[in-house]
Amino acid sequence: MKRGVLCGEVWATRKASGLAGRSLKLVVELPNAPRESGISSDGFDDSALLFAPLTVAIDTLDGKLGQPVLVAYGSGARNVIEPGSKNRAVLADAAVAVLLEDASEP
Amino acid sequence: MFVGKVVGTVWSSVKWPGVSGHKLLLVRPYHLADLLVHPLNKPVSTSAVECQGPAKSVQTHPGLSNTSPPSHVKAEAVVCIDLLDAGVGDDVIVAFGHAARVAAESEPRSHLSSTPTPTSPTASGTPTTPIDAAVVAVVDGFHIVRPGT
Repeated sequence: MKRGVLCGEVWATRKASGLAGRSLKLVVELPNAPRESGISSDGFDDSALLFAPLTVAIDTLDGKLGQPVLVAYGSGARNVIEPGSKNRAVLADAAVAVLLEDASEP
Repeated sequence: MFVGKVVGTVWSSVKWPGVSGHKLLLVRPYHLADLLVHPLNKPVSTSAVECQGPAKSVQTHPGLSNTSPPSHVKAEAVVCIDLLDAGVGDDVIVAFGHAARVAAESEPRSHLSSTPTPTSPTASGTPTTPIDAAVVAVVDGFHIVRPGT
């Protein structure tokens, strides 16, 4: 999983049937080393996030924009949408798995 | 999945039979900086932002249009199959890996070549189309908040 921040929402009417009814959120990935990236403990440095990797993730947890989250990828994402071994037909390669309250580093 | 802009089309006459019948598109991923000044970005009302936690509205972005990516930033275009009849200039969502193969086998082929060779899931339900990226949505709009203090 990767840590990121919910920064947007996407709408699409023409989409694969497997995405029908899914909430699609944009998540900007947080750099691994905030201090080296110039990110303070109480906020985010714009320049570090403007060109960070951007993921479209399925959100089943109804996260609010601006909220830190963990995003699961691949089979982890499918297990967020439909837990169990019979989820091979689920169309998901990224999903919001955890809504973070706070995170700190030593 | 990622959101990006269709910047081109790829043609190929010699390809694996499982890919036959699918149009190939070249999609360049967006960064947050691109989306903040994108015309499809719907401004968020101030009241909505206030109740959504530590984010600030991005109705105006002074100087952002002049922002250029740092030299280490890569935004290499991805070749993906088109399931939704998207075209150059469209904003699309692209799925990777297994999700792309699931989408490819659940959607009808809109761009059939002369004699497509259908692929079918194996007995275990594993999709077999030999692809790893597919357009799974054409974006109508989005709204972005700029992460901040």
